[in-house]
Amino acid sequence: MPRRNWILYATMFASLALGAAAWELAGHLTSDAFWAPLSTTLKSLGEVVHNGVLLRQAASSFELYLTGLALAVVVGAPFGVLLARITWLRVALEDYIMMLYATPMVALIPFILSMMGFGFAPKVLVVFLFAVFPVLYNTVEGARSVRPELIEVAHSFRSGEWALWRDVMIPYTLPFAMTGIRQAIARGLVGMVAAEFFLSPSGLGQMIMMGSQNFDTASMLAAILIMVLLGVGLMDIGLYLEKRFAAWRGYNP
Amino acid sequence: MKPRIEVRGAGIRFGALQVFRGIDLEVGEREVVAIVGPSGCGKTTLLRCINGLIPLTEGEITIEGEPLAAPREGVAMVFQHFGLFPWKTVFQNVAYGLRLAGASRAEIADKAQKFIDVVGLTGFENYYPYQISGGMQQRCGLARALSVAPRVLLMDEPFGAVDAQTREILQFELLSIWETRPTSMVFVTHAIDEAVLMGDRVLVLKGSPSAVHEVVDVQLPRPRNRATLLHPRFAELREHVWQTLMADARKAEFKVTQ
Ligand SMILES: Nc1ncnc2c1ncn2[C@@H]1O[C@H](COP(=O)(O)OP(=O)(O)O)[C@@H](O)[C@H]1O
Ligand SMILES: [Mg+2]
Repeated sequence: MPRRNWILYATMFASLALGAAAWELAGHLTSDAFWAPLSTTLKSLGEVVHNGVLLRQAASSFELYLTGLALAVVVGAPFGVLLARITWLRVALEDYIMMLYATPMVALIPFILSMMGFGFAPKVLVVFLFAVFPVLYNTVEGARSVRPELIEVAHSFRSGEWALWRDVMIPYTLPFAMTGIRQAIARGLVGMVAAEFFLSPSGLGQMIMMGSQNFDTASMLAAILIMVLLGVGLMDIGLYLEKRFAAWRGYNP
Repeated sequence: MKPRIEVRGAGIRFGALQVFRGIDLEVGEREVVAIVGPSGCGKTTLLRCINGLIPLTEGEITIEGEPLAAPREGVAMVFQHFGLFPWKTVFQNVAYGLRLAGASRAEIADKAQKFIDVVGLTGFENYYPYQISGGMQQRCGLARALSVAPRVLLMDEPFGAVDAQTREILQFELLSIWETRPTSMVFVTHAIDEAVLMGDRVLVLKGSPSAVHEVVDVQLPRPRNRATLLHPRFAELREHVWQTLMADARKAEFKVTQ
């Protein structure tokens, strides 16, 4: 087992090293305006880190992203359980939810722009819209699959509605909601960049745009690199949380 | 003295399906009534009615002299499917009923542990249901029901989903637990020998819609244990119930095949 692990890690490392080498080589073989070598990118990264631009822009992006994502979770998960418990509400809204889930959210951005203009709120709305539907959808599906026998056990022990939520609905639905949240983490990131591109430019999105306009590929790639790292890190956190809350389903905790 | 459970003319209909009708049943304070009948005859449904989970369409049920409207304090059910919460540990599952009853933290810790010990799950407090066998899961379900000190215990084929050996072990353990604290118990099963072993009386349900076909007075001495199985009266009663139940079952089966 340790030996196998060692081989896997070596393979992973070699693959990443090869990718870095290819990046470096591609940068040297093409014009700087098209693709900057990894070393130049890292140097530019060092610069923007040093002069505080990156930190400021990343913080601005992060604020937007986290606000939208948090709203999506706070609204999506409880509303999902509610939809699962109240049949008429679900029947009434189901089709709209499916339609919105299937809509490419980017298409709604011009509409949001004309409705709400520039500013922080419309951007948060974009991130929210990107992120909320996976949370909502997975939560509804999860909460609907609660075994009716377990609800009956709760009633048999004289559980009230609130205790039923605390002891049965929420713990049962949590792993499903976490699956949705993990998807929302990825989609929210897309929403963040889209909002920063198409509404008032700000944050990492603005860095990418400016880099591209000034043929400053290095700082553009630096911003993208930060974004990738952010996404990967958050996905890992999501995966960890999902597994942790699903321990009772028999997965490895 | 009034019986602790009184069922009068009970009937249930689901849409066009009349499951049973005209069921009368009385259970005294320290009495076990076993209900035996073929699968689908409405045994679970009757227990759910006595638990107050669904209302009767005809007749009435009183428990401790009061008409039943909703699940009552002092009544606990053990489910055929165990009904454990998979995200709760053995300890948390056993503590569930106590928590809902508003017991204090210290009381919960004390009582849950006591009944975990009674059913022989000591050492498995922190296991999740998926980590233990079916027999152990049902021990857990039993501990959960016992921990709220029920005056009425409803058992829905509690050993129907465990293997034959475990079932025998659990039967005798339940009998000895009951001896230390006798309560009113309704024990539903489709196994004839189990009904005779457990019950002071055996209600035989039969027909469609089903009804009480016969009430058998068991009169086997208590405490009951493995020796009861060798009692001549046990064999006699088992044969008698078998004849009552199976005579028509055979006829019905042959009618279908012809
Ligand atoms: N909620 C329900 N709605 C409609 N039919 C039901 C419902 N519950 C039980 N039944 C029907 O009632 C009959 C008796 O079921 P049940 O009480 O589970 O039988 P048993 O426990 O004796 O096997 C079955 O035909 C079952 O399909
Ligand atoms: Mg049944």
